[in-house]
Amino acid sequence: MDQARFELEKAVLEKKLPSNMYMFREMGTPNAHLLIGARTNAKNVYTLKIMLNDFPSSVPTVYTTKPLKDRSGRDLDVSHELHNYGTTDGKTRICHYPDGSWSPRVSLYKVYIKCRLWLECYEIYIRTGQSIDTLINEINRQGGNPTR
Amino acid sequence: MKCIYIDKDEVLAFLNSEDCHIEGQSYEWEGENVVHIHTAALPHAFGRVVAAHWHKSSLPSEPYAPEHYYVVILSDNEAKAYYVNEELQLEECEVNFIPSREEMYSRAKGILEVDILSNKRVMIIGLGSFGSQIAIELAKAGVGEFALFDFDRVELHNLARHTCTIKDLGRLKTDAIKDAVIGKNKLAKVDLFPINITDQKALMDEQVAKADLIICATDNNASRFYLTQCLLKYNKVALFGRAVTRAEGGDVFRHRPGGPCYNCLVGSRAHAMATEEITNRSQLPAYVSEEDANAMIQVGLSSDIEPICNLIVKLALVELSRGKNSGIESLETELTYDYYMWANRRERRHAVWAPFNEAKNKPTILKWYGARIAKDDNCPSCSANALLDLGEDLNTDSLTPNYEGIVLETGE
Repeated sequence: MDQARFELEKAVLEKKLPSNMYMFREMGTPNAHLLIGARTNAKNVYTLKIMLNDFPSSVPTVYTTKPLKDRSGRDLDVSHELHNYGTTDGKTRICHYPDGSWSPRVSLYKVYIKCRLWLECYEIYIRTGQSIDTLINEINRQGGNPTR
Repeated sequence: MKCIYIDKDEVLAFLNSEDCHIEGQSYEWEGENVVHIHTAALPHAFGRVVAAHWHKSSLPSEPYAPEHYYVVILSDNEAKAYYVNEELQLEECEVNFIPSREEMYSRAKGILEVDILSNKRVMIIGLGSFGSQIAIELAKAGVGEFALFDFDRVELHNLARHTCTIKDLGRLKTDAIKDAVIGKNKLAKVDLFPINITDQKALMDEQVAKADLIICATDNNASRFYLTQCLLKYNKVALFGRAVTRAEGGDVFRHRPGGPCYNCLVGSRAHAMATEEITNRSQLPAYVSEEDANAMIQVGLSSDIEPICNLIVKLALVELSRGKNSGIESLETELTYDYYMWANRRERRHAVWAPFNEAKNKPTILKWYGARIAKDDNCPSCSANALLDLGEDLNTDSLTPNYEGIVLETGE
């Protein structure tokens, strides 16, 4: 990410979120990332790690900094139904954006919002067993509310 | 009688050297009585390989080594060659010269001034069914320098549409295409980069800065978007080409400094995010099952790819010789669009196009259509007034904006 884009992204986040909720780290290195907090409607708190090495050319990889569990209490495994790439080294990589529809104009803030929606779907899955894939398709189809 | 081929440039170099004898090598197409003899070993041999002894003016005195070749260079266009048979007798062979560079491309003169191209450097990113053909066509046209980028190896599923053959299986595509380029243009300078372009950004910057033209023939937008940043930084011309699902059609985009960039194109109606052709497993997310992947990987025919490659080559030649008295300068005033579309079949995105026989003025298959792409005043890549997508299209009514008590966890 070049400096001009970095300034744009920072300006958006400053406008949209409290400053204690996010932090750019290791910028200028291959491990550059954004840590950003998310509190779901059920008041569970997650920290998302958005990798910035190839941003904005490609969909940024997003991890939760703690492993997410399935309904049996096991670490989430790679799954299309649960829209994730599995859990390794204590981090779960979530699938928040299809490669084919990515555009460099997508902001980190939008990525964050997509991840918030994903987390709401994940919590519905934990409560009800409905697959994240089904819930996300419903959102895409109806622009709907995943928590209803 | 065996038919010998020797390289005129090698003959001239030998004549100009102080050596009166060189130990070279011969490559025989067995059973065909055709032998290529060189002054040094080729990097990638073919056929039956035996020693070949080069001499100036006259044959050396006996004894001769059995089954070896002896080449006697009399002048820059006269030579004799002999094969030593099992009875140690000399069999005279027919000698043919592989022409020097000037001679080799003289046929193109008048159509295209090859001197213009011999000093041009073309960077090709992606050596799949598109990039491989384009590289070879440009070599045939006389382009003198190439920078070839691809980290992949030749695999079985590539062969149906690729210039590489079964004997190339397992090789790096960069190495295999270098051989093919050199086979067409023996003096071409070919630099190889078997890397992922986003992994070595400083190298990419350096190579984009050096190139006269960049051709992006990859199968994903991430590489196209990344390349666009480099193009804008160094004010370079580039061509982007691709096929859409099952090669039902394809498109070509030309990026010129000051004009719309690839990101402007992706936001335009003309582009409309047509579904990328999926040709291999690496284009799919890891969680897609093998069964689903097999259903999703649907490649088109080589003949569906050819017309798209052909236009890219024509545009490349126009760009490389732009402003010069090249012989094809009339195309500069005709191939002026930013974006070109082609349909092989009336399927999916092209289903609404008219049948070929009844098309009249409507778009139909097997014809090129050009479009001008407006520069996006708010493009985040090429505009000073960048506007980002903040997700206004997402329904976030259900998300409670509750930010209290959040403490960031580094996970380390």
